[in-house]
Amino acid sequence: MKRIQHASLALAIGGAISIPWAEARPVSYPGGWTVMQQNNGDFSSIHAHWSPTARDSIGLYSERNWQSDWHFTGVQYNRLVERWNTPNSQANLYLKAGAGQADPFGDDASTEAAGFIGLGADWETRRWFVSYEGRAYDLGFTQDARQSARIGVAPYIGDYGDLHTWLMLEVENQPEAETPTVVTPLVRFFYDVQLLEIGYTPETEELLLNWIVRF
Amino acid sequence: MKLISIAAMAFTISFAAPVTFADQTHQNEASTAAQTMVTAKVNGMVCDFCARAVTKVFGKEEAVQNVHVDLDRGEIHVTLKAGAELSDDRVGELVKKSGYDLVSVERETA
Repeated sequence: MKRIQHASLALAIGGAISIPWAEARPVSYPGGWTVMQQNNGDFSSIHAHWSPTARDSIGLYSERNWQSDWHFTGVQYNRLVERWNTPNSQANLYLKAGAGQADPFGDDASTEAAGFIGLGADWETRRWFVSYEGRAYDLGFTQDARQSARIGVAPYIGDYGDLHTWLMLEVENQPEAETPTVVTPLVRFFYDVQLLEIGYTPETEELLLNWIVRF
Repeated sequence: MKLISIAAMAFTISFAAPVTFADQTHQNEASTAAQTMVTAKVNGMVCDFCARAVTKVFGKEEAVQNVHVDLDRGEIHVTLKAGAELSDDRVGELVKKSGYDLVSVERETA
């Protein structure tokens, strides 16, 4: 129950703060496909989705959580709840939900029905970027939650078609992890339809490597 | 032999000339057809990676020949195929599909 309260709190804070990371762009243009992978030492995940509209996407999601020792595989639905477009900025609020199965690591592990809900938000200009994401999991055999926030700055303003670079700082909180809160400096590059993020977490001495490709 | 060569050349020219004229006539017709440049001013277009949707969405439109994104001005420049049309309403729909809000549309015909 306490874990669920923590997860609820994480989501509530997420709604109050607003913004995302690599997975903060879970909806593409109508007919667009996206594949994204995240690896940061605490977990590795891959998400492939298709957007039937400019506000929805559906796809497959698989995550191996190395800190809490579980594996989830299922279907994920993403909804762009609201978007605020201004002449110099854009902000987004996303709702995410997944349903599938999960199993703890181990030879005698049993598979359980599982699901998660999440909230993502972001705000960015061509110079500044802020994001937040919170997730709560019910894995059948246990519950889990994590949240992360980012701030970023672009050292130069590139034109359309240039290689774009962002310097970012991510704070991630996973209450069940051995080191619950970690800070990760990272660099984001994107060019055309490819996005790549490389970072390093000093506390845990782990590498962050995320990428996204859109079709 | 020389007669054969001259005959062959004459034969070739007699067929080649009309084709050349036909091509030239076709090109002249195409160049006289009006070609329109549409400039859509939009809100929210601050990210290159996300603005890729603009190229994809507008690029699928039959009337569109070329798409250019200007992040500095927040503008989408669309060159239409000669003689093709793209209404303001349709431009608005495509901008919305790309994830942005349309502010204004301007047209320039060359």
